[in-house]
Amino acid sequence: MKSLTMAWRNVWRNSRRTLAAIAATSLGLWAMIVYSGMAAGYLGRMERHVLDVEMGDIQVHHAEYVKTPSLYDRIEDPDALLASLDEAGLPAAPRLLGSGLAAAGDSSAGVSLIGVDVERDGAVSLVGKSVTAGHWLDPSAPSEVVIGRKLAKMLNLDVGGELVVLSQAADGSTANDLYTVGGILGGVSDAVDRGGVYMVEDAFRELMVVPDGTHEIIVRRTPSGDLDATANQVRAWAPELETKTWRELKPTLASMLDSAAGGMAAMFVIVYAAIGIVILNAMLMAVFERVREFGVLKAIGVSPRGVLALIYLETVIQTGIAIVIGIGLAIPANWYMTTKGLDLSASMGGLSVMGTTMDPVWRSAVTVDTYVQPTVALVIIVLIAVTYPALRAAFIKPITAMRHQ
Amino acid sequence: MNELTRRSLLLGAATTAACALLPLSALAAAPRPSPESPGFAAWVMDQIDDMHRGSSSHGVLSMTVKTENWTRNLTMESWSRGEDYSLIRILAPKKEKGTATLKAKEDLFTFLAKTGRTIKVSGAMMGSSWMGSHMNNNDLVKASRMADDYSIALTGQGTLGGVAQYVFTLTAKPDAAVVWGKIEVTVEQESLLPTRQIFYDEDGTAMRALEFSDYKEVGGRKLAGVITIRPLDGSGEFTRVTYDSIEFDVDLPVSMFTVQHLKAL
Repeated sequence: MKSLTMAWRNVWRNSRRTLAAIAATSLGLWAMIVYSGMAAGYLGRMERHVLDVEMGDIQVHHAEYVKTPSLYDRIEDPDALLASLDEAGLPAAPRLLGSGLAAAGDSSAGVSLIGVDVERDGAVSLVGKSVTAGHWLDPSAPSEVVIGRKLAKMLNLDVGGELVVLSQAADGSTANDLYTVGGILGGVSDAVDRGGVYMVEDAFRELMVVPDGTHEIIVRRTPSGDLDATANQVRAWAPELETKTWRELKPTLASMLDSAAGGMAAMFVIVYAAIGIVILNAMLMAVFERVREFGVLKAIGVSPRGVLALIYLETVIQTGIAIVIGIGLAIPANWYMTTKGLDLSASMGGLSVMGTTMDPVWRSAVTVDTYVQPTVALVIIVLIAVTYPALRAAFIKPITAMRHQ
Repeated sequence: MNELTRRSLLLGAATTAACALLPLSALAAAPRPSPESPGFAAWVMDQIDDMHRGSSSHGVLSMTVKTENWTRNLTMESWSRGEDYSLIRILAPKKEKGTATLKAKEDLFTFLAKTGRTIKVSGAMMGSSWMGSHMNNNDLVKASRMADDYSIALTGQGTLGGVAQYVFTLTAKPDAAVVWGKIEVTVEQESLLPTRQIFYDEDGTAMRALEFSDYKEVGGRKLAGVITIRPLDGSGEFTRVTYDSIEFDVDLPVSMFTVQHLKAL
C-alpha cells in the first residue's frame, strides 16, 4: 500500500512527462482498435458481398457444368435435393443459366441469362436488394427483366426500356423474345454488371425451351454451420452432382481474401512494433531521468525487487489511465465507422476487386475482440518495453547512480 | 469450337450453302488449261470460288442440322445478288417462320419474326452459330479467294466413289490473314467440280469437312444439290443443305437487300 501511494505520487511528480507517455500510449491503443475494426470490416465486406450477392456459400451443378457450361448439363431432379435442403433448414434456390445476345435500338451485347425462382432466391441472395433503379423481378410480370448497370449503359437502356434477347434454345430453334427492363442492378460483379440479364424462371424456360431441370442450386449454410461440413452434407444427398464451396469455385478470390487477412496481420505487427518503440522510449526516459533518485532509494536500503515493483506499479497506473482514455476515444470513432463509414465512392466509384464489385462505403466491423485484442497486445508491449529500464534501475549501484549527471 | 475467325474456301462454300448462291457452272466461259500448265491449280481454285458467287439467284433450300442434343429441319427461301447481297428467310418450321438473315456488304442483320425486331449481328454474336447450324455468322460475311491467300499445289490423283479425282493441297501464305493452315481440295478430274474439302488448323489437325454431292443440271449448269458440313471431332454432327429449287440471273433490285425491306417482309 505504501509503495502504491509512492508510485501514484511519482507518476504525478513530473506530470508533463507522464502526460506525454499516457498520450502516446492511448493514441497507440486508439489507433490499434480503430484499425482492427476497419480491417475486419474491409475483409468482411468483401466476403459478404461475394457470398450474399454473388454466389452463396455452396453451389451445386451437373458434374460437367462447371468445367464446360452447357445448356444441356442440368440437374435433372432439383426438387428432391431442394426438399432435403429445406428439411435441413439450409436456404437454397435453383437458377437456370444460359447465354445469348441482348439488343436495344442499334446496340447489342453478349449476355448471361439467369432464370430465377424469385421466392426462393430471396432467401439465398441479396441480388434482388441490389436494384438501384426500378424494382426486382416479380413472378407475376414474366416479361420483365433486371439487368446489370454497365449493360444498361452499353445498350442505353433505362427502366421501362425494351430489350430483345436472342439465343439458341435447347431444341436448336432461334430463341427470341421481347422484354421490358424492370430494374437495373447496382454493382454485383464484373460479369453481372456487363452482361447479367435476370428473368423469372418461367420466362427463361419458355425462351430457351427448357421444360425441366435446373443448372445451379445455390445453398447457404446456417449462421453457425461450417462451410466444408455443410458442403459434405449436401454432397451426400446428391453424390452424382458436383457440390462446391465458394472457396473452391473462386479460389483466386478466396486466396486473395486470405492474403488480405495476412496483410492485415502483418500491418498489425508493424503498428504494434511502432507503438512499442514509442512506449519503450517514454519509459526509458522516465527511468533514466530518475537514475539519481533510484540511487538514493537503493542507498537507503530499498531492495532491487522494491525498485522493480515501484517502476511496474507506476507503469500499470500510467497504462491503466491510457487504456481508459484510448478505449474511451475509440468507442465514438468505431461508432462513426460502423454507422456512417468512409464513403470512397468519390475516389474509387464502382471499385471492383477480382471481378467482385465492392460497396464504396467502407464500414468497420466491431466486436468485443476489436477492443480486447489491441488492449491485451498493448499491455504485453508495455510490460516488455518497461522491463529493460526497470531492471537497469533495480540493479544500479547506488554510488554510480548518485554520481550520475 | 474455334470458329470465330474462320474464313477461306469454306466461307465461299458456306455462303453458298447458307445464302444459296448456288454453284454457277464455272466451266462455261474460260478455256480450260491443261493439268500440266503452271496456272492450272490456281485456275481450278478460281473456278470453285466463282461458282459460289453468281450474279443473282432465287431459290428454296432445306437445311438439316444434327447435333448431339437435337436434329432439326428448316426450309428456307433465299435471294442473292452478286457477292455482296443475300437474304434468306425461314419458311418452316412454323415457330420460326419469317425469321430472316440479311447480308448487305459486310453487315449482317437478323429479323426476328416473333418480336418483329431487327438486330444487327456484330461483336459477340459473330462467332456464334447461324440458325443452329455448324456455320457461324462470320462464315456468312467474310470471304477470301483461295488463290490469293494460299499456295496451291496439285499433290495427288486418285478415285473417290469410282470417279477419278485430283487432290490439291492449299497451304496458307505466311502473311495471309486466314485461320486454316491447310486445305485439301478434291476435284473430279473430268468436270473439275469439287467433291470434298478438308480444312486443317495450324497444327495440321483436320477440323472440318465439306462434301459436295448430288450434282445436277439446272438451267444448263451443273450444281451440287447437297452440301454437307461435318466438324471432324468424331461427334457425328453435321449440317446438310439441300437445294429444292433454284433459278439464276433473276432481276433483284438492291433495295430488296435493306433493313427496311427486311422489316416489311
